[in-house]
Amino acid sequence: MKIRLASLLLGFAAITVSSCALARPVSYAGGWTLIEISNRASSAALLHYTPAYNYSVGARYEWMRGADIRMQVIQPTYLAKRLFGKDYQANLYLTGGIGRAERTRGQSSITETASFAGVMADWETRSLFASYEMRAADLGRLGNQTMHAARVGWAPYEGDTGDLHTWLMVEVDRREHLEEATTVTPLIRFFKGPALLEVGYNLSDSKPLLNFTYRL
Amino acid sequence: MTTAFYKSLTLVAALALPVSAFADHSNEGPDHHAMSGMQHGDHEHAHQHEDAGHDGHGEHEGHDHGAMNMAATITRTDDVAAALAAGGAPVVVDVLGVVCDFCATAMNKIFGKRDEVTAVYVDLDKKTLSLVIGEGEALTDKQIEKLAKKAGYRIAAIRRDSEALGG
Repeated sequence: MKIRLASLLLGFAAITVSSCALARPVSYAGGWTLIEISNRASSAALLHYTPAYNYSVGARYEWMRGADIRMQVIQPTYLAKRLFGKDYQANLYLTGGIGRAERTRGQSSITETASFAGVMADWETRSLFASYEMRAADLGRLGNQTMHAARVGWAPYEGDTGDLHTWLMVEVDRREHLEEATTVTPLIRFFKGPALLEVGYNLSDSKPLLNFTYRL
Repeated sequence: MTTAFYKSLTLVAALALPVSAFADHSNEGPDHHAMSGMQHGDHEHAHQHEDAGHDGHGEHEGHDHGAMNMAATITRTDDVAAALAAGGAPVVVDVLGVVCDFCATAMNKIFGKRDEVTAVYVDLDKKTLSLVIGEGEALTDKQIEKLAKKAGYRIAAIRRDSEALGG
């Protein structure tokens, strides 16, 4: 079974060309999490509640800036697998969304049913991090979008509980619907208690990255 | 773009099928042994590599037959020291997969809600959960295991009283 999972994870790595992995998209039972994402392609907010440790349900609002599409969906996420070790944790999440997407241009407006499916995987120790995320979205007449994103990170020191944790990361993403399909974003992650902040700059597309997560 | 989209959807579907085969069977009870019925010393026979949700020994590799953290002792924060001074009972739990402050937040929230618990602290360096159980209160190993699972984590060993204090 472990070989099977390892094969899957290797498969992720093999097909990966980019990322923006969410920070723990499933929380503890009874926990709320607010996630804000702003990258070269879109700005999004996700508020999710975790009824049990292995799934969460949230409301997501996303503005895809290039095409000026605004999407509102209900987003469930399922923790399909969590591997524990003495020094590491690895997770495999399946996620999806269903709702609507809208684009307004002048007097005309197009509204379509929006849906997406995705997978996220991460592996983390206290000083090393790797993740992969993929999302395929169907926005009807507003188009289909696919996104792949992969990330590696390194923490120059290991902070203890409550300390400020700092990570240096590099993210590569691929969005085939954008002119600059594959890009690279170096970023720095600050992590303290229930709050996580990521600040980066996309080198290929010259756009900032600003992600924030707060766990209640 | 359309081709890539459907390729991606196929990938998700392909992943979902094998994933279901090793999905977390969280309702099937604790792994390997029921901790509540064991002597505390038995927990030192900890598994260093846990695969959440699988119960068979055959699925595990790399068992470590020694103590996970060389029997880490309770972390004496101000709250923990005060709770111990008030007559509370010390408990140290070795936790697998504790790598970040979100892990600590989860366990602090889950265990902190319990009336029996008068102090709680997650130590990332030791990879332990330190608990103080109020005088006259009780929290069984089984309950601790279930609470850790609610937080999304797996425990490897539990030590109490003199063992938790380091002698």
